Amino acid sequence: MSLIRSMWYYFERDLIKWTRWKMTVFAHLVTPAAWLIFVGLTLPVTFTDNYLEYLTPGIMVMSVLFASLQSGSLVIFDKILGFLNKFFAMPSPRESYLFGKILFITFRGLVQATVIFGVAVLFGITVYGVKSILLTYIVLFIFGALFASIATTIALVVDDHDGYAAINAMISMPLFFTSTALMPYDKMPGWLRTVASVNPVSHAIDSARVLLSGGDIPVSEILVLAAGATIVLAICTSVFRRATL
Amino acid sequence: MIEINNLTKYFGDLCAVDHVDLHVKNEVFGLLGPNGAGKSTIVRILATLQRPTEGTARICGHDVVKDPKKVRSVISYVPQEMALDIKLTGRENVLLYAKLYGIPDRARKVDEVLDLMELSERSGDLVKTYSGGMRRRLELAQALVHEPEVLFLDEPTLGLDVAARKKIWRHISSLREDGISIFMTTHYMEEADEYCDTVAIIDHGKIVALDTPERLKSSLKQDVITINATGNFGGLDLDCVTFSRGDNGELRFLADHGESVLPEISQALLRQGMTIQSMMVRKPTFDDVFMDRVTTSEEDSAFDGYKFRTMLRRR
Repeated sequence: MSLIRSMWYYFERDLIKWTRWKMTVFAHLVTPAAWLIFVGLTLPVTFTDNYLEYLTPGIMVMSVLFASLQSGSLVIFDKILGFLNKFFAMPSPRESYLFGKILFITFRGLVQATVIFGVAVLFGITVYGVKSILLTYIVLFIFGALFASIATTIALVVDDHDGYAAINAMISMPLFFTSTALMPYDKMPGWLRTVASVNPVSHAIDSARVLLSGGDIPVSEILVLAAGATIVLAICTSVFRRATL
Repeated sequence: MIEINNLTKYFGDLCAVDHVDLHVKNEVFGLLGPNGAGKSTIVRILATLQRPTEGTARICGHDVVKDPKKVRSVISYVPQEMALDIKLTGRENVLLYAKLYGIPDRARKVDEVLDLMELSERSGDLVKTYSGGMRRRLELAQALVHEPEVLFLDEPTLGLDVAARKKIWRHISSLREDGISIFMTTHYMEEADEYCDTVAIIDHGKIVALDTPERLKSSLKQDVITINATGNFGGLDLDCVTFSRGDNGELRFLADHGESVLPEISQALLRQGMTIQSMMVRKPTFDDVFMDRVTTSEEDSAFDGYKFRTMLRRR
């Protein structure tokens, strides 16, 4: 119980800090929207008549992916600036800090994805009811938690801001471009298709795409993502416990 | 309040804390030592942030390794680095701690500690606008919000100006009167001398002196003779004068009667072909106690990354 409560307080701390800097919030929300507009409305694709509709789930997942991976620096700053020492000398469970952080990172990604979705609706994509949107958010949440856990694990291990930024850049771009965000499997070269089919980003995008176009619930995809998130979260927790003692 | 027995901490091969025994009562206890002597490591072990390699430490009867949660519920720890959220207001910074500690009636308690630290007027401003001294007092307010029995302060006055330091000390002294035990580290000899009830000097992880500041000073009965001279110093063969140390052209001697041996010392130095710029005799201060007991030279101690980062953040 005190774990959940403390987790919420840590979440609240990050949330207030984030929203207080209006410019940061603005920048975080505009960047993914720019992706959607510049790529969605300009690329000359032939496999669909409504590329924006095809692209929207991909960019929503992308913004969650990038938001999650970048946010590991929050942990690094808390560590170098001495916050962790103060927090961990308090009786509230130490894991509540970690879970609060993962929750905030995931939440911030979902807010960005919402902006994308809003912009896409303005541009006239078809909306298939509340249920499909809710289920999409569940997929995005699981996916966000997965990558927030990866990001915090890297942050705990790397321990250095520049090193972290380099690793983030190294993994985020390839993950995005080897996914089904920009094109379907059958338009990919063979080697890319193989990589894309095992990429967790593709799994999230495929699920979101099926849901947002009114298809059946992709149960197995969601279960795979959830299993992955659970495993990574467990690894992250154990790395965290070792790093903090 | 704090019982430390045989406490030892190795980082790889480096022995940062070397079989330390300390017993701290309800008092202001100062741990002094050069950079890298092991002060912060001891505090971090006591604050349950690091585990000792050997030995035990108990705070209010709770073991720091076996019962860390109970220890954390009776202590507060303020590290060297000022870790405050500058985008939050002073009040919000304290409120976060009140929430995490699970304080009942927290709004009232937060107001109370802010008032105690004389921050009520500025509590609604972002911490970004606070001075160094105000930030340190805000950290004390955070630390006090759960009414700890023992307060750990790591270099509480580091980097503050004289007025801010005085103010911090006034608050620390009044906390002690309220019955809180204070365990702190410091570089500033004169502060330890003036405000601590008991002082321990630590060097290379070992306690080399432990007593009240007064008794430590009186243990140095001899006068201190400081001579600025150039040339090669070839040793001195005089009864009742002992050579203490020499660096940067400054030689220090200890003697029972400083004034009367001064001529003999100067003649001896001149005979060695040295040129004397100045000579001074004075009663020992707390600095001398420290210099007398500590052998770590500045070059030996590792670069202090924490302090460097603190400097960076102040810019």
